[in-house]
Amino acid sequence: MKIIVSNIQRFCTHDGPGIRTTVFFKGCTLKCPWCCNPENISFEIEDYLDNNLVKQYGKEYTLDELEYYILKDRIYYCDDGGVTFSGGECLWQFKKIEPLLKKLKKEGINICIETSLSTPSDFVEIALKYVDTFYIDVKILDKNKEYLINNNSDLFISNLKMILASKKKCIIRIPLVPDYTFTKDNIDCIIDFVKSNKINKIELFKIHRLGELKYRSLGLKMPYFKEINDDELIELKNKLEEYVKEVDVLKF
Amino acid sequence: MKRIIKKVLPKSFRRKCRFILDNYSKGQIKHSNKDKIIYLCKNYFKYKFYKDEKSLLKSVNIFFNNNYIYGIDWYKRLKSDNYVIGNNSIDYSKILNNSLNDFRKESKNIEICNFIDNIEYYLNRIIKKIKRSNINHKDELLAYFNNIKNKKCEHYYEALQRILFYNQLLWQFGHNLNGLGRLDKILGDYYYNDINSGYIDKENAKELLKDFCLLLNKDYIFKSSSLIGDTGQLIIIGGKEMNGDYFYNDITLLLIEIIKEIKKPDPKLLLRVSKNIPIELLKKAIKCIGTGVGSPLLSNDDQIIDRLISFGYDKKDAYNYASSACWEPLIPGKSLDPNNMNCINFLKPFNDLFNNEDISNYNFEDIEKKYFNYLEAYLVEVIDKTNEIEFEKSNIFSLLIDDCLKKNIDISKGGAKYNNYGLTSVGLSSVVNSLLNIKKYVYEEKKYNIEELNKKRLDNFVEESVINDLKNNEYQFGVDEEIPISLTNKIVKYTSNFIANKENKFGGKYKFGFSSPNYITSSRETNASFDGRRDKEAFSVHISSMHVPFIELVQFASKLDYPDNGFNGGVIDFVVTPTFIDNNIDQFTKFIYKSIENGFFQMQMNVVSSKLLINARKNPSLYPNLIVRVWGFSAYFNELPDEYKDLLIERAKQSENNC
Repeated sequence: MKIIVSNIQRFCTHDGPGIRTTVFFKGCTLKCPWCCNPENISFEIEDYLDNNLVKQYGKEYTLDELEYYILKDRIYYCDDGGVTFSGGECLWQFKKIEPLLKKLKKEGINICIETSLSTPSDFVEIALKYVDTFYIDVKILDKNKEYLINNNSDLFISNLKMILASKKKCIIRIPLVPDYTFTKDNIDCIIDFVKSNKINKIELFKIHRLGELKYRSLGLKMPYFKEINDDELIELKNKLEEYVKEVDVLKF
Repeated sequence: MKRIIKKVLPKSFRRKCRFILDNYSKGQIKHSNKDKIIYLCKNYFKYKFYKDEKSLLKSVNIFFNNNYIYGIDWYKRLKSDNYVIGNNSIDYSKILNNSLNDFRKESKNIEICNFIDNIEYYLNRIIKKIKRSNINHKDELLAYFNNIKNKKCEHYYEALQRILFYNQLLWQFGHNLNGLGRLDKILGDYYYNDINSGYIDKENAKELLKDFCLLLNKDYIFKSSSLIGDTGQLIIIGGKEMNGDYFYNDITLLLIEIIKEIKKPDPKLLLRVSKNIPIELLKKAIKCIGTGVGSPLLSNDDQIIDRLISFGYDKKDAYNYASSACWEPLIPGKSLDPNNMNCINFLKPFNDLFNNEDISNYNFEDIEKKYFNYLEAYLVEVIDKTNEIEFEKSNIFSLLIDDCLKKNIDISKGGAKYNNYGLTSVGLSSVVNSLLNIKKYVYEEKKYNIEELNKKRLDNFVEESVINDLKNNEYQFGVDEEIPISLTNKIVKYTSNFIANKENKFGGKYKFGFSSPNYITSSRETNASFDGRRDKEAFSVHISSMHVPFIELVQFASKLDYPDNGFNGGVIDFVVTPTFIDNNIDQFTKFIYKSIENGFFQMQMNVVSSKLLINARKNPSLYPNLIVRVWGFSAYFNELPDEYKDLLIERAKQSENNC
């Protein structure tokens, strides 16, 4: 069995604790216009141009190959490092990679995932067996606006509650995009959710344009978004701190 | 024309002109012939060459500074016919524990005794000048300079001054690239005794050490060898002890602090690391590296010391190793050991093979085998040429380097305890990548035939698509996979075995390393190669790759088999952005610590971004203090020749892509 991976990035320090290897899977059903990994939206290998040379986003790996690359840096993982699965929406691959997850757990490798929980819950159930820390992107919970990114907020909340109930370590990440995630209604929905569920940590971040070159390589244009100002960011942070122990602002 | 000039103009005149123009061309800034002639005319009579130390020491100026008496009279030089010994490190504890009288008692040689008298004469000139002056610390300095004649050193300030005195003599006599050795060990007792007795306080001790470093830096342009900044003023700190403990002291920490504060590229630090280095010390060193000041370089005792012992250095000496100007281990105060005698260009015999032979019917194994034949013939030439080098006599080194006095033999004739020759190398990655490319694209995928690919090489690779293939082989030097690692080890082992039974004229052995200053100069003589290099394109620096992330490179380098005679520098060299270390200090410290355990040999990094370098290239006046790491030294970016700047920019860009 082969999985399509767009990148295996070594020495990552912002995708979980310690030193990590982050594996980026291809494929996502959401359509977030601010996505900084557009090469991971399609589930297929894609051609792109780099200085007039045709290259590819995505390469097939067997589970053994993935295990090999993940374990290459295990001397650096120490107590807190390990592997982070990201993407795209990495959960879509979890049925296929379950044998790998089992092996990694047996090897004592710490596993994190970065996810938007946009898959059916049986994928989440697999994750719950092996994943140590969930980094969960909360985007649009406002039912009137979820169509903008092809989200199903009911499914999302159901998946999130499953994870919260498991007591596994869970960090919520909120990208702040005006007219999308950063609207009064959506923020109210997020705050309502946070009020009624035990969330230990939230990370807020302004979106960035580090993925712009990737859009161009795919013949696409990355849309422009208004930037939220620092006062608005601090105001939201302070509001969330009424309900959540730790609220950080990530900088890129 | 050259022959006419040689016939008409006396040798001494030509030699002096060459020396003056070499000084003028430091930094390889391209001056026009007109500028050179003007400079020569203006400065010819300023420079004076003396036939012996006595006449030199009679006339050199004496320089007073804030706390010290130190300075080199750059226009007054000793005449020399042969290769002046440099790139060395005396053991400064010897001059602190011995007065001139002690040296007299040890010397059986009238010439050395006369030399000691000359030093005393010079000392007396200094003492006279101090007496007539109103210099700061007049009484102390008078006592310290008098003590050089007949007493051991007793105090910390005195030790610093005495070190500067002898250091100055080395430079004045024309020896260049003078290392400072293990200053933390050397100064430790003096420091603690004076602090504990109240003779000095910690604040003053730091100020004195800082002033000492600034003074060493003062004449760095004159002290520079090939490029500005290449002074060899390397201070060794830390290190594994014979009992397994890790040595460091307050001086170690002070030096790291001072180098960080003064923000000068010179002098620089080399931190000897080991598995049992305290994490906090390692973190401090990494924070210092993270400021972009260019040091410390990290040298892994766990890899080096055993190899020094296997090579033939006494165990006690091996544990006390210092370094040549860049990073090549040597035993301070006991070695002739010129560690940069010659440079092996691994690519040259490979290109020669393809330039000379009809390879149309060769398979891959034939090519590999033939390469080793060409490599052997080339190494014979390198060794023969190296053996021809004659050294200039040196009274000061013969006085201070063991066992010259004991044997009563000048250092230039093999009087030192150790007389091994060191070779550096370039082009190893080019050969490895060339072989791997030929294997893949010619014999496995059959994308090109060998003659076709060779023709493209000889035509300097007109097509970008071919370069792209050659530079993007999944297996290449720096990739942490069995294939490139074993091929690299194969070439290294071959070289090691060949060199192992070679001796120089003093009965010393040969050692070699994986690094060299010559990555641009040697490349200028080397045409396009199968690793995708175009004609005269720079070689990869030391152990590096533009195509792999640093974590991969470090893993690769840790898996290389460094042979027992292959310890003459094995430096991993990579680029990280300035914010990277700041933002990841704990993780990066952990990474370096684990890499020490994993077994890298030596490591240095450039902490710059491509954006910063590009801006500095365009607007140098806005970045006067931007420091970068070149080979074994740091330099102001603005003072580098353009090709070095461009290479650094390219490396920074590639490194950012790899992340």
